[in-house]
Amino acid sequence: MIAWIVIAFVSLCCFWAILSYNRLVTSRNDVRNAWSQIDVQLKRRYDLIPNLVAAVKGYMQHEKDVLENVVRARAEAMSTANLPKKATAEESLTSSLKSLFVIIEKYPVLKASDNVLRLQEDLVATENRIAFARQLYNDLVANYQIRCEIFPDMMIAQTFAFQSFEYFRADITEKKATPSAELS
Amino acid sequence: MPITFIDIERQKNWRIGLFFCLLIFLYFLFAFIIAQTIVFLFGWSNVFFVGSKIKYIAAITAFALTVSSVHFGISAFTAVDRVVEQIRAGVPDDEDGVHRVLLNVMDEIHIASGSKRQIRCLVIPTLSLNALAVTDLKGDAVIAITEGLLSRLKRDQLEAVMAHEAYHIFSGDCLEASVATSLFGVYAAAIEGVKDTVVQEFRAVPFLVLFWFLNSLGEIVTMFISREREYRADAGAVRITRNPVALAEALNLIAGRWSGSGFIHEGLEMLCISSPIPDHHDESEDWWDDLMSTHPPIGKRVDVLLQMARVSHSTLAGREKPRAVFQPEIEQLYYALDSEDTWIGPFRFSELTAFPWFTGSTKVSMIPTPSEFDDSVRSVDDIVRERIPVNLNMRTTFLCPACRQPLMKEAYVDTSVDRCVFCRGVLIDNDRIFRILARREIKCDERFRTLMRAVTADSLRSLTIRKQRLKERKLVHLTLCPRCGRSMFRSFYSYAFLIELDKCSMCRVTWFDADELDMLQCLIENKITDALVDRA
Repeated sequence: MIAWIVIAFVSLCCFWAILSYNRLVTSRNDVRNAWSQIDVQLKRRYDLIPNLVAAVKGYMQHEKDVLENVVRARAEAMSTANLPKKATAEESLTSSLKSLFVIIEKYPVLKASDNVLRLQEDLVATENRIAFARQLYNDLVANYQIRCEIFPDMMIAQTFAFQSFEYFRADITEKKATPSAELS
Repeated sequence: MPITFIDIERQKNWRIGLFFCLLIFLYFLFAFIIAQTIVFLFGWSNVFFVGSKIKYIAAITAFALTVSSVHFGISAFTAVDRVVEQIRAGVPDDEDGVHRVLLNVMDEIHIASGSKRQIRCLVIPTLSLNALAVTDLKGDAVIAITEGLLSRLKRDQLEAVMAHEAYHIFSGDCLEASVATSLFGVYAAAIEGVKDTVVQEFRAVPFLVLFWFLNSLGEIVTMFISREREYRADAGAVRITRNPVALAEALNLIAGRWSGSGFIHEGLEMLCISSPIPDHHDESEDWWDDLMSTHPPIGKRVDVLLQMARVSHSTLAGREKPRAVFQPEIEQLYYALDSEDTWIGPFRFSELTAFPWFTGSTKVSMIPTPSEFDDSVRSVDDIVRERIPVNLNMRTTFLCPACRQPLMKEAYVDTSVDRCVFCRGVLIDNDRIFRILARREIKCDERFRTLMRAVTADSLRSLTIRKQRLKERKLVHLTLCPRCGRSMFRSFYSYAFLIELDKCSMCRVTWFDADELDMLQCLIENKITDALVDRA
């Protein structure tokens, strides 16, 4: 009888371990998938920016600073690999793009250009997608971390060395140091 | 695939099973009544050659089960197609600026929710303000938004509305509402459409009875649909977009406007973000209203959202996308030097062309009696040359039906139209008319009001139902479709808005003479009610 109880208990534990392991793997893959979504959108933004700059630079001789800010911020964002630094660089790029959009509003010729309008809409959509993808990624990371840290799932997580993920958010100290783009 | 981001309390779809049972019961009742009537009239043994009453009941049950299975299967698997057909929703136009934003927003919602379930978005050609979600057992899912709402929402508000509808689909509660709608509501809506086209009253009676019957059944089904689902979808939208204020603003905007009554049928109301049919049940909250209504009071929904954001009602300052404001164009009038060297006028350019002495060298001026060397005196050729557009890339291969000049493609309120630069007539695809009407605003000055009074008074005078039927498809041989060259039909825009337009049913385009589009918009926006008062 006792043997049966032990067998049942061990089976139950094995079953729970398998279930818990599978849940952790699923969560980990969801996080990786969410990160790849961010990556896709960031790449898309890097590709769109040169097109927009090329489309508007002919009309914006007096706004070279703004355009240079955008180009510089793009190059910095592309070259950074460290996650908090990358988040900061991406925020800087977002901010410089916003400044560019404000300037475009001042030029009726640009506002009337179908090409510029399309590029602007594509970039705004990409900005939103990045924001939403980032929101999703951070939520999934939070869920995954909770799962890795709560008892009893933490036993499985530690046994199988489930890695932790960093949140995609800007380093607050660096964010403060980032110069804002000129609006004039 | 369950959505990974939202921790959804997935709705149990037990109600769908309940609808099926209800359907079996209804068909059983129907078959039983028919069979009993036949037995009563012709006698038991003459009609049914069955040995016992058990077999009789079994036969009726089998009939009810078969018919209800077919009915349920057709309704539940084709709900999306039927609803889309009913509301005449179309695929967004990638060339249209506003529709492009809609497509982008849909992508953003997919990303934000983390769902791999693909939702199509469609546009409903109406100026009303509403949106709906529908899905079926095939797995097809659609969010449809009206052209009116699309043109008035700012981007964040549009995101909130789309997230609300997407949540209905992700959470599964849309499926039960769609099945409930497709069982009776869609058929009631179709019959309502047919009954309106039947003019003789006695012929309309069967349609009226069937409509009433299906509508009543639809109302019974409505009782099973909880109005709480709207609160949950609002909360879900906030979890996706993190912007309760934008959704509150959108709801506030919808609440004060036409939500589609007359266009979106009552049977489809449970799919909509806001009930299209004004109903006192929607504004109350006792148990009977909870039972009879599918939507909670909008005011309460807005309150809940504002509480989430911890802001007050004063922040809802009616934020909406500004519409492009247009002034009706005033056509230039000219004085012309006639064959007897006398200045006559003023005339429109098109009127001048009717004179037999009118040639390219005819002298014209904008002032009544200019001196011989006045700068304002020019030849007709000069004026025509000035009107020829410089950008020839925009020239289409279609000719203006009035002037026979090439029409020019012109960007207009985020879409495009083909315009004649000489007579200012404009050729518009039928599905773009609503977009233009929804996205712009016309300032009505006194000259324009006078013109509209004259046009509407003339139309009203000649209109009786019988005459209208004869006139409805009057062939006007002089107006040829610029696209296909066939004769266009001259008919009123609708019975409500009596502006006569030339339409080509083959190419699905409408030709508006100068001012006609502006007049139509002013009529739709009820800007010349005084014209009707004058007539009375």
